[in-house]
Amino acid sequence: MLCEECRKANAAVFLKLAVNNKVTELHLCPACAAKKGMSLGLETGAFNISDIVGNMSGYFKDFLPAERKALRCGSCGLRYGEFKESGRLGCPECYAGFEPQLVQLLDRIHGASRHTGRTYAGGPAPKLSKGEAARRLAALRAELKVAVAREDFEGAARLRDAVKEMEGRHGRP
Amino acid sequence: MDALKGFRPYVTWANARGAWPEMIFSTRVRFARNLQGFNFPNRSEPRQLAEIRRLALAAARETGLFPRGHFIKVETLTALEKGFLVERHHVSHALAASVLPSGAAVSNDEDLSVMINEEDHLRLQCLNAGFAIEDAFRSALKLDLALGRELPFAYAGNFGFLTACPTNVGTGMRVSCLAHLPALSRLGSMPQVLENLSHLGVTARGIYGEGTYVLGDFYQISNATCLGRTEEEFCQNIDRVIRNLIRQEIAAREALLKGPARLKTEDAVYRALGLLRHARSLSYEEFMQNISLARMGAAMGWNMGLDFSTFNQTTLLMQPAHIQAAAGRVLTPPERDAFRAEYTRKKFA
Repeated sequence: MLCEECRKANAAVFLKLAVNNKVTELHLCPACAAKKGMSLGLETGAFNISDIVGNMSGYFKDFLPAERKALRCGSCGLRYGEFKESGRLGCPECYAGFEPQLVQLLDRIHGASRHTGRTYAGGPAPKLSKGEAARRLAALRAELKVAVAREDFEGAARLRDAVKEMEGRHGRP
Repeated sequence: MDALKGFRPYVTWANARGAWPEMIFSTRVRFARNLQGFNFPNRSEPRQLAEIRRLALAAARETGLFPRGHFIKVETLTALEKGFLVERHHVSHALAASVLPSGAAVSNDEDLSVMINEEDHLRLQCLNAGFAIEDAFRSALKLDLALGRELPFAYAGNFGFLTACPTNVGTGMRVSCLAHLPALSRLGSMPQVLENLSHLGVTARGIYGEGTYVLGDFYQISNATCLGRTEEEFCQNIDRVIRNLIRQEIAAREALLKGPARLKTEDAVYRALGLLRHARSLSYEEFMQNISLARMGAAMGWNMGLDFSTFNQTTLLMQPAHIQAAAGRVLTPPERDAFRAEYTRKKFA
């Protein structure tokens, strides 16, 4: 199936949204999806539908049935459903990705959802091994490429800084 | 057994110390911590786990809190060596079962340790002898602060220290006391006591922690939640609960010495002592049942021939992996039981 936007590339992104009891379907190619400002993160397998819906409009979001939200962590790609099965989150970013759900859960577990204990100002960046630094640098460069293709200049600038910082700390491979 | 060279048979945290040494074996405070920028262990690839272990072991060395300590790659150990570290409470059963890159840093006198790549990247702990919540908390916090200066911990203002399981998020702290409650057990009061504890935000577990069964009437009492209160408040709550438990155990011991119950109690204790003094084969379970009674007898003022430090150290040394470490080789279960009986006989002679 061709992309409904450009009618050139094959559609790879399929969105099915229920609005006012009417189902709206959208078939897009990754480039058009990206142009629409949808941060799909397909390269890493991360797909955060709440981001997409958030970017489209608050109106859509309100009518999206809860069970249709294939909620995923934008960083590690863990699906909320997987977390519900295993009880284990995938990475520290999951807490931001699943914040509303976790607040409810934490209230049930701990009788509270806000930390009131010791605070932490942060620690130094870890001294990564050459291999790990090179892998991370390659991943950052790949993300940068996608951001540029997507004309997401703000994101690209941030990633360029991150690449420079990594190169500065660990050297250009 | 090379990896265990440098581990002494006796540890200072098993000495009798503090108030009620006959009831509180040890106190432990642990913090769950993770590194920012890495997936949690369950979602990390082996090479990332190896990287985390390298960083964590290097950071532990940098803190200066592990002079002449042990820095261990756990998956490279034999089953017996892993078993020894589990029995010493430096490594969990779950970590010992893993074949992925994992580690442990253990201080020379074994009061401080860091378990690497279990459910969280780091589980750092302080183990102290007796009832010592304040001391154990201060030492664990010192280790936490030192490691937090070497590594970037995953932390968010609203949720606190971020952990793989939301049950540990917030302070990431668990404070626990290993309590010996034989009289409450004998009176059949433990189900009610445990039920009451669950309403106080407190959990009771077996001797080796989560999912382990109760041996020799030893219960690990710890906070069930760790978010929404300060570290000090969680410590104070456990302190209150433990003091209350001790009062209940004392009352139960008095009940066991009143009227006709006294003869039954005395008979049970001295039969246990007879068994420890004369048995030729002792399984770990049987040993624990009987040393529990003898320990209670000593607490009631009867001469069992051992002081509480020796009770504690003997309890530690008679565990299955410890027996084999002492023998210097892998033993079959019947060989272990014979070795245990021989050692116990000599101790109680």
